[in-house]
Parts: sequence; structure tokens; C-alpha cells
Amino acid sequence: MSSRFPERLGLAAAVGLAIALAGCTRGAQGGEGGVPGGGLTRGEQSDTVPGVQPGIVPEVVLGHVSNPYADDAGAIATGRQLFVGFNCSGCHAAYGGGGMGPSLRDSLWIYGKRDAQIFSSIAEGRAYGMPAWGARLPDELIWRLVAYVKSLGTEAEPEKPPRHAADKVMKAPKPRRAEG
Amino acid sequence: MRGLASRRPPPIRWIAPAILLALLAPLQGCGDRGPEPAPAERRVSTQAATVDESRAPAGELVDQPGAPSPGEWTLPGRDYAGTRYSPLDQITTRNAGDLRVAWTFSTGIPRGHEGQPLVVNNTMYLVSPHPNIVYAIDLRNPGGPLKWKYHPPTDPAARGVACCDVVNRGASYADGKIVFNRLDNVTVALDAESGKVDWETKLGDISRGETMTMAPLVVDGRVFVGNSGGEMGVRGWLTALDLGSGKVLWQAYNSGPDKDVLIGPRFKPYYDWLKGEDLGVKSWPPDQWKRGGSTVWGWVTYDPELDLLFYGTANPGVWNPDMRPGDNLWSTAVFARDPATGEAIWASVTTPHDEWDYDNINEHIPVDLVIDGKPRKALLQFGRTGFVYLYDRATGQLLSAPMYQHTNWATGIDMKTARPMEVPEKKTHEGVNVTNICPASTGARDQQPAAYSFRTRLFYSPGTNLCMDYKAGRTAYIAGTPYLGAEVVMYAGPGGHRGEFFAWDPVAGKKVWAIPERFPVWTGALVTAGDVAFYGTMDGWVKAVDARTGAVLWKFKAGSGLIGNFMTYLGPDGKQYVAVYAGVGGWAGAVALGLSPEDPTGALGFVNAMKDLPDYTAPGNTLYVFALP
Repeated sequence: MSSRFPERLGLAAAVGLAIALAGCTRGAQGGEGGVPGGGLTRGEQSDTVPGVQPGIVPEVVLGHVSNPYADDAGAIATGRQLFVGFNCSGCHAAYGGGGMGPSLRDSLWIYGKRDAQIFSSIAEGRAYGMPAWGARLPDELIWRLVAYVKSLGTEAEPEKPPRHAADKVMKAPKPRRAEG
Repeated sequence: MRGLASRRPPPIRWIAPAILLALLAPLQGCGDRGPEPAPAERRVSTQAATVDESRAPAGELVDQPGAPSPGEWTLPGRDYAGTRYSPLDQITTRNAGDLRVAWTFSTGIPRGHEGQPLVVNNTMYLVSPHPNIVYAIDLRNPGGPLKWKYHPPTDPAARGVACCDVVNRGASYADGKIVFNRLDNVTVALDAESGKVDWETKLGDISRGETMTMAPLVVDGRVFVGNSGGEMGVRGWLTALDLGSGKVLWQAYNSGPDKDVLIGPRFKPYYDWLKGEDLGVKSWPPDQWKRGGSTVWGWVTYDPELDLLFYGTANPGVWNPDMRPGDNLWSTAVFARDPATGEAIWASVTTPHDEWDYDNINEHIPVDLVIDGKPRKALLQFGRTGFVYLYDRATGQLLSAPMYQHTNWATGIDMKTARPMEVPEKKTHEGVNVTNICPASTGARDQQPAAYSFRTRLFYSPGTNLCMDYKAGRTAYIAGTPYLGAEVVMYAGPGGHRGEFFAWDPVAGKKVWAIPERFPVWTGALVTAGDVAFYGTMDGWVKAVDARTGAVLWKFKAGSGLIGNFMTYLGPDGKQYVAVYAGVGGWAGAVALGLSPEDPTGALGFVNAMKDLPDYTAPGNTLYVFALP
């Protein structure tokens, strides 16, 4: 991202450029990330910068990337095999519920839930210990893993976690006292 | 029987011989436990600080080699033996009901808090979970202000290879230094006064799946450190560092050729099947010993009279036993080593060719007992396996191994070989889902340590009552990732209570009393000369119990579940304080850290057994300190 702002530009120029770019890209974002209401055209004076919205990643940043295997049942099944074969299940548990690594079944996506963000997590790794698989796995395999991870907890999940017999937590028996 | 509970003063004519007896022999407990041992020579603890006589507890001082002055706590288990016994007796069975919170301190890291604080020179030292921040608290000033704080540059990626939460089991203090392990495999010595780094020694590599969580033990200027990573195909070792410089003095692996395991002419195992050359290679398929687990993530203890270190080793690497035919030495072993050279003196093995992840890293406590009329230098361990191992600590002979929890994978231990007598239906295999194995892989008890009272002659231990299904499967070794090959699901054992806290008579080989709990009891015990034992529960209850009867004297609901170890100390005001962390997590509490309960295999199968834990507690990070009003 720093390449958009040549270092020699002063701060004011950088801000002006950001405003101009926000105006240029607004149309391409559609309903996501666009600034509602007034936009600014090149040359207009303003002292505000269009907002950035935490949690929303503009398409222009993601490079319009999406999973070629989204909703592909065959790819999801392969993704399951990769998940086990590459020991993902060792850290994230046999059905992605988590252990050493976080749960992949819940609604909290620490690094974002977009396909491209999940791809990034797998390919580039993450600071708190997710290894970077991008040098070992070609993109086509990583995308299948993405498809499998997205299927967890949905109808598309190929091997659903077994239901284990509910534990009967009985009333605790009376404590055993010392004799004598 | 009233025994020591009687507080009537003895008639005058008995006082002189009574004092003499008290000085020469450990105090007798209730009842007749056999003939009194021959009075031992009174050994002076080599690390004893000056004892302030006006503050010394009433009654005799028990000899605890390695222990500091009565009001201090400088080693993880208080003394070299790890008895976790305190001579302080202001808190008694009569007044424990009046205990209340004196002060608290938050470490700021809401992950599992195992381990225990230290107190020395009126300063308390804490080590947090990763990133392993060290806090020094000035106890002399109101509110316990920080004296200093050290926030090390611990690698965040280490969290990704820590099997069982990012816990730390504490530091040791010696010669003005605080020594602890960082999760990313660095042993650090800080100057206790200033908090400045004295030395740092990197011993392992997270890219191999290694981490360090154990509390180092310091004896005579040497620091003993072990690694973690048995679930990651790591090769385990125990390393000795020089306390002054941090330089490696020796390193003993626990698998591989004898020259690596430091097995030589002085090695005299008691059992014939442990004699032979390079058994740490031959008992594995070719090269599999390089991923042999056998790590040292639990407790190291020491007997200065025999000059022997004792510690246990973890599971043999990959959880699929069919991938490693053979006895897989020296996994699930107990070693006695020479602290100066690391040479192995004797060893025994609890589950050769382990099929259940019964790590053997629980603490081994040296204790002198009278068994069948003979005084024995014994060594006692509550095994993961469900058996209490009582050894002769000079020779490694197994004296007894009674069952202490519901156990069905073996009917007992063969006393001629110390090998288990396994039940064929409970042996695990690739592609087979073996059900209802008890105990579960967490064991009848895990690393959370017991305490021993020299007064009652009983051990006080946390316990776990879980069983499991275990399905082994083929897996590949990829360095830096788990090397498991097993899908495990755990659940409550018979009775439905998943834990208990109990008193154990080591000579009779049975429980004296037991307090069942809803959840596994995951705190380390403390027992004092006031005959009060302390433990805590994973749903947040701190409890004080009568060490003789098991009666609960007091309880307090802390802010988070407890998995840490209790300790006690004298404040600068001369009062006795009891301290423990409340911060749920660890292997047992992983589900409370945000795992998904609908996957029963989460946290190596623990999630299924603890699905309800989040209904009771959430993560926390507070040290609680209690005192009488």
C-alpha cells in the first residue's frame, strides 16, 4: 500500500491524493466501502478525507480475488483430505473446532472471513503461529482448503463432527471422610 | 483419634524428652503407622536464609533440603523434593474459616495460569503465560506496588506450537537471580533486585515444534531445564545450565543412542529388560527415535543425600502406536541422574510402547517412609496411568503400584518387571476406535502437583476422573506441525464427577479421604503445618480443607477457574498469606478459551469432556492473596 504514496510527497499532497483516489474508486466499490452522500471531485477544496470502514475490505485492495472452487463439492471433499493430510487437524482439531489453533467453525474470523483473507492466512501464515504454506502448497490446493474451511458448520461440510453421547453429569457423591 | 489435634499442653515432666524427640525425628501423625524411624541426623538446609526467631512458627522445623526460611518460597515446590509443605501455622483448622482476600494483582494475560509465584526478600515474583512477563511486587508497601516488570521479546509464533495453552509453570530463585523459561525456548536469568537480564540461553526451536513451559529447578549453581513438544514429534531432553553464566553444562536426550541419553557404566537399572546397549535406538523403527517425544515438561526434583535428580519423560511422539512398534525407550520413563554430569544412574518405564498418551512427567517426590517395618528412601509419583508408583529411590526398584483411580487399560503392574499387565481390549490400534478407556489420556492426574505433609505423613493430590475413545490413524511428520495420528474424545468416568481432591496414605497405599468435584481438579496442592490443605476448582472455587479429615473449612469464589499451584509466605508484617492464580485455561480449560463445543475432538479430545465449562467461567488473569483478618 505504501507504493501508492511516493515518499517525497508531502503530507498535504498525500491527503489530496487519497481524496482524489477515493472519489475515483467509489463507483467500482458498489455498495461496499463507498461514501454515501457527497463525493469530492478533483480540484474541490475539502478538509475531510472519505472514511475507511473497519472490517470492510474494498475490492480494489483484494484485487477482485475470489475462490474458484467456492461451492464445489468435489473441491471441498479434496480440501477435507488436505486438512487431515497436512496436519491442519492436529492444531485445529479433526473437525475444525480448535485446540492449539483457533476454531474454524465459529463466527469469529480473527484475520477476516473473505476467501482471499482465508487464503492469505494459509499461504502467508500469521504472527501468532499459523505456519505459511504458500511455499509448499500450490494455489489450487490452498483454494480447496479455503473451500473446505468455509464449509465447516454448513450443509456443505463433507464429514460432520460425530455427536458424542452426552455426558451424564451426576450429582457428586458424598465426600469420603477420614476414618477415626 | 485426636492425636495432634489436642492442644492441651503436655505435663511438665514430658517436655524435655518431647523437645528432644521433636528435634531428632519427624512428628508422628494420628494412629499407629508402624515403628518410629530411627532418628535421622539433623541436616541443615544448604539454602536456609537467616531465620527470624521471633517469626519462626511454633513447633519443630521439618528438614526440607533446598527450602528457604519458613516465610519464603524460592523453588517451584518449595524444597528440592517438591513437597509443597510449608512450616507456617498461623492459619489453622480452627481459624481458616476467617480467611479473606488481602490483595490481588492482574497479570494482564487472559490465558491459563499454571505455576506459582515466589516470595523472597519481601518481594513476590510472578511469571505470566506467554509472552511470559515477569512481575516483581514489593510486599513492603501497601498495595504491593511493582518493583519492576520485565516484558521479554517472546516470539508470538510460539503460541502456534504450544499444545496445551500458552502456560508457564513458574520460576526458581537462587543466588540473587530469577530463572524462568520463555515459551519460545529461551531460559532467562534476571537479576532479582533490578529485573535486568543477567543471561539468556536459547535451547530449542519452534520450527521443530519445540516450546518450553516447565519451571526450571536450580540446585547448587546448576539450572535444570526440559523441553515440550511430544505432540509435535519433538525429541525430548533435560539440559543443565550454569547458573552464573547460562552456559550449557550437559544435555541428556531421552531417546536415541546411549551417548546422547548419557547412559554409561554408571547406569544400573533395577530391571533386566532395561539393561542393554542403545535401547533408545533399538526399541524403535529406524530413525523414529529422532521424533521420539519423551520430553520433560513436568517437574524435576532432587535428593541431596543421594545426590540424584529425578524427573519423568513424556509420551513417545506420534500418538498412533502402530507407527512405532517396539518399547519406545526412554518414553514414559523416570530417570535418576547425577546433577553434575547428567549421567543416568537408574531408570524405570511405566508404559513401554505407550498407546494412550500416558506421559510420565508428573512430579516424583522423594520421601522417607517406613514400609514393612523397614525405613526406605522412597520416591512417590501419582502416574497418569492410574497407579501410584512407589520406588526405592536409590535403586529404582518399584516397591508398590496400587491403583488410585478407576483404571481399565491394565489390571496392575508386574512387580518383577515394573511393566503394566495390559488389557488386550484397551490396546489402541490404527483404524480401530477403542472405546471407554480409563483413565483418559489426561491421566488419573496430570502435571498439577501434589503436596506432602511431614506431620500427617499423607500426600494431598488433585485428581481427574475421565475416560476416552481413542482412534489411531496414519499421519505424516511435518516439522513444526502436530505429529498425532489419533482422534480422541474424552468424557466423565464412573460416578460422573470429573475430578477430585484426595489424601493418600503412601504406606497403606490407599486414599484416606476424597472430595469429588464437578470438573477435573487442575490446581497444585499446598499443605501447611497448620494442618490445612489448599486446592481450587476449574469453576473458580478456592478451598481450604482439614488435612486430617478432608472437611472443607473455607471457600471463596474467584474471578476465573483455577489451574495454578498454591503457595504460602510470611509478609513483612509477620502475617501468613496464601497465594494462587485464578485464570482458567491449560489443556483442561482450553474450551473456555473459545473453542467450538460441537467438535468433540477439540483440544486433543478434552473439549467433549468440558463442554459445560464456559457456563461456569471465562478467562481471567488475577493473582489472589488471602490472609486472616
